[in-house]
Amino acid sequence: MSALRRHRALTRIWASDPGWKGWFTTVNHTDLGRMFLLVAVTFFVIGGILAMLIRAQLATPRSAFMGPDIYNQVFTMHGTIMMFLFAIPLFEGLAVYLLPKLLGTRDLAFPRLTAYGFWCYVFGGSLLIFSLVAGIAPDSGWFMYPPLSSEIASPGINTDFWLLGITFVEISAICAAVEITVTVLRYRTPGMSLPQMPIFAWYALVTAVMILTGFPPLILGSILLELERAFGMPFFQADHGGDSLLWQHLFWLFGHPEVYIIFLPAAGVVSTILPVMARTTLLGYGWVVAAAVTLGVLSFGLWVHHMFTTGIPHMGLAFFSAASTLVAVPTGVQVFAWIGTIWKGSPQLRLPMMWILAFFVTFVIGGLTGVMVAVVPFDWQAHDTHFIVAHLHYVLVGGFVFPMLAALYYWMPHVTGRKRFFKLGETAFWLIALGFHVTFLAVHWVGLLGQRRRIHTYDEGQGWEVINLIASIGGFVTAIGFALVIVDVAVNAAVAIRGSRDPWRAGTLEWAMPTPPPAYNFASLPLIGSRNPLYEDPDLPVRLARGEGYLGDPSRDRRETLTLEIASGKPAYLVIFPKNTALPVVMAFVTGGIFVGMLLKLYWLVPLAASGVAALVARWVWVLGSRHDEGPQEVGQGLALPLATEVADPPGWWGSLVLLLGNATFFGSLLFGYAFLWTVAPNWPPPGYLQPDLLGPVLLLAGIALSMAGIRLADRRLRRGTGPWLGLLLGLAGAGAVGVAAASLLLGTSHDAHAYDATVWVIGGYVLFHAGLTGAMTIFLALRAAAGYVSGSRIGEVQIVRLWIDYTAAVALLGLGVSWLPGVLT
Amino acid sequence: MLAGATAIFLFVMALLVLAFLRGPAPASDEADEGREKVWIVGLGLGFSLTVLAALLAYGLIVGERLLPRPGPEVVTVRAEGRQWKWSFGYADAPGRVTEGILHIPAGRPVDVEITSADVIHSFWVPRLAGKLDAIPGYVNVLRIEAWTPGDYAGVSSEYNGPGYKDHVFTVRAHDEDGWIAFLSGEEP
Amino acid sequence: MRDILRISVPLTIWLASFSAVYGLEGLVCSDRWAQAGRGALLMAWAAAIVLQIVLLLALRSTRFASPSGFVRGVSLALAGVALVATAWTLLPVAVTSLCL
Repeated sequence: MSALRRHRALTRIWASDPGWKGWFTTVNHTDLGRMFLLVAVTFFVIGGILAMLIRAQLATPRSAFMGPDIYNQVFTMHGTIMMFLFAIPLFEGLAVYLLPKLLGTRDLAFPRLTAYGFWCYVFGGSLLIFSLVAGIAPDSGWFMYPPLSSEIASPGINTDFWLLGITFVEISAICAAVEITVTVLRYRTPGMSLPQMPIFAWYALVTAVMILTGFPPLILGSILLELERAFGMPFFQADHGGDSLLWQHLFWLFGHPEVYIIFLPAAGVVSTILPVMARTTLLGYGWVVAAAVTLGVLSFGLWVHHMFTTGIPHMGLAFFSAASTLVAVPTGVQVFAWIGTIWKGSPQLRLPMMWILAFFVTFVIGGLTGVMVAVVPFDWQAHDTHFIVAHLHYVLVGGFVFPMLAALYYWMPHVTGRKRFFKLGETAFWLIALGFHVTFLAVHWVGLLGQRRRIHTYDEGQGWEVINLIASIGGFVTAIGFALVIVDVAVNAAVAIRGSRDPWRAGTLEWAMPTPPPAYNFASLPLIGSRNPLYEDPDLPVRLARGEGYLGDPSRDRRETLTLEIASGKPAYLVIFPKNTALPVVMAFVTGGIFVGMLLKLYWLVPLAASGVAALVARWVWVLGSRHDEGPQEVGQGLALPLATEVADPPGWWGSLVLLLGNATFFGSLLFGYAFLWTVAPNWPPPGYLQPDLLGPVLLLAGIALSMAGIRLADRRLRRGTGPWLGLLLGLAGAGAVGVAAASLLLGTSHDAHAYDATVWVIGGYVLFHAGLTGAMTIFLALRAAAGYVSGSRIGEVQIVRLWIDYTAAVALLGLGVSWLPGVLT
Repeated sequence: MLAGATAIFLFVMALLVLAFLRGPAPASDEADEGREKVWIVGLGLGFSLTVLAALLAYGLIVGERLLPRPGPEVVTVRAEGRQWKWSFGYADAPGRVTEGILHIPAGRPVDVEITSADVIHSFWVPRLAGKLDAIPGYVNVLRIEAWTPGDYAGVSSEYNGPGYKDHVFTVRAHDEDGWIAFLSGEEP
Repeated sequence: MRDILRISVPLTIWLASFSAVYGLEGLVCSDRWAQAGRGALLMAWAAAIVLQIVLLLALRSTRFASPSGFVRGVSLALAGVALVATAWTLLPVAVTSLCL
């Protein structure tokens, strides 16, 4: 088969639907990655316009341009959009587009999930933009501190838009994180063991795990605050045993890792591009991996440094001050590894490299001011002034936006297949780099002079006028620069000339394909033996196009790719991806019903939409799998591998495992909240604790035993070739018993009496939900077995259900246990 | 701190510039190992840890010194924030409440017991001390001290809604006679 | 999977002990609870350090070390980092005032 015929056959198999329909049914990571990036940039433009409104307002004293009502919405939405609708999704888009190409595979682990996440992002983001246009946008600041954001001080719908819209958008972050984690762990090209992985994959892996463990506290906080606003459950009201500081803990437990979730992908980009620009390889690969992991974990021990002024005892602050200084060490290791890389190579000053240098200058300053505010006494003065505003812009713009601009110019030839012809980018570079520093050096200065953040205007005579005017002028210059970048990209994508395949002479696999990339990425998958396969073997792209790798034969007419064992890089099994489908967009739309129902207080819509989602999920899973064994499949190079449907750890099992990690963090945050309220919240203890009778604990233990034994029995009998029915029936009964025990929590307390009761309600509800979920999964499994999809050799789905049942048993035991404990003790 | 930060910044930038100016370097695995020692172990770990340990120790010592420890001289007052007012009470003059102006004696340590009646505020008198939040359900204690009599400007520094900009107050430090007069009920 | 655990466990344990000591400090200073005092905090700190040393030694031992040289190097570096982090970030239990 010639390379051209192979290309045509693979394109027919992998391409998205033609025309407008393709937008809604595509599950292809290249297309979805581009769509993600485009939408993220659109939100960036909106956020940027808001930034210009802010600078226009602050340019002069006693400005009458905006009153506080409008200004408060503008700065809240600027922060919210940039953080949640731009920075995180831009990373997701970059990873969705790039990761499979860097890893030498054909798509992400769960293509339909990519699409579902994308549409949740679009719909959730649209809700927020709608509120902005309608003038009812959130106005309590992007970190939404209650009681300012509670029903008492913000009775309107504004805050609800934030809580529900952001939670909707977070679904997409969680989807992307599951996707990225499983992809990096299992979906790589043969031979790519852990130390052979491109450095960006390490960063993406750390970032994805951080999203999984960092976002759940925020999602929990948003749900609790929405429950308080909608149903009067007093989690954050001191009068009823709640505590507004609980929100701050939950928010910053998310919010600080968030900073590193934004920075790490950018560091990954720098570690990828910089060695190419310096014509060498990265210095200290292992050290950089260790630094990235360290940064990822340490960043979870910093959250209280946003709360130095809340009256926490000095020893508590000192822990976090110490951790905040320590986190500068892995950052320092990376910075010096990069400078050492330039030192050992011969650097070339091309546009991506210029952006990396801008990153160095800006980020080092931002890091140093960050260490300054980590010192408690300094922070007591600087906190909530414009100094902090300037610091965070140095870190986020310097540490994220500038490297992303480097990435834009570095990978643009890959996306478009063209070479830059009009050199607007260099002009834009100077406008942005200089404009930015003029603006935010001035903002540092005015912050040290005492200008508070978030004031809508200021009076004359404090010496702030000239500085603010300078900052505003710099801001507008920066904005013109960004506009020029967009023009540059648009013009060069439309009219420029075709470029060569590997314009930077890089060594990583994304350049081993034609550009713009075909729908299937690689005509065949390479066997690699180094971190820069293209340096070892410059002819690799040609050989891959000729089909001289794995899976080069398209004759089975289905979307195939390989997975590996995690560490060694040995091929494990063959995966068949689903076809184009509108299911993700439909499911995202129905999911939106849950959020819109809560927002408009149309509570009947919520269960209706939730059942719709459940039905669609069942449909989603049903179409996978096979009713008969196909045995080992030829994958080329004389290798035969089993199909994913015929192994005990299919992709769905890995996805579930990773999702449960996030889920466990959610539950852990809930238990943390419970313990926190119990320890320090005002107005405790509550009037009365829930007193368990004997029945509840007995039901719980029996239910756990039954469900865990039941699924194991079903598993064993299936493997022996007999029916799983008895085991599944026992499992269903077990789930029912756990559900009844959980429901007794809801019946024994009244949700709005005290924060204790409200918390017990949420714990009970969480366990009840999981009992229901495992019950539904058990029924689904029975249907699958009856239809012939599950058998002794096709046992993967049983393992997935078993994982969820075991998890439910653990959270039920823990959750109901701690709910009953105070009643037993007193 | 600012000078130190500037020095580190200039040092890093100088390394960066030098990296560009020098010619191509030998490329071998042994050379890379040597470089890892210098750049990562020496500069990345050694240099960063030394600077940060010194800074942390400095921060902790200063922080300890600012804490509100009990003493015979200490005067206790109370500040309650609400949208968008501050009212102040005095342990030495029970029942006395002032709005918008906090009276204190000059030259003596003052503990301000800060709380809130509605949302979160923050009590900040830049010339007297750092800021401390007023949180519903809590009483936070801030130690301030004015060396000389006079008026000191104070502001709320935690965003608290539309009236945030003008949510300000004054701290009035009296000399000894003025303070006795204030406590005995005269409006100064 | 084991290699991923070797890489992630030491720092995760740092995070757990860091949070636990912070929580313990909250308990010690909460007026709702008997004053356990600084002793409990110091003991928790010492226990956390011992645990990290044990982990570091385990990752060096032939029984638990990774077969891959790369993973062994990274996991040992991270175990060292976790030990330093435990000593460094919990140092305040010994030097700052307790509940002011």
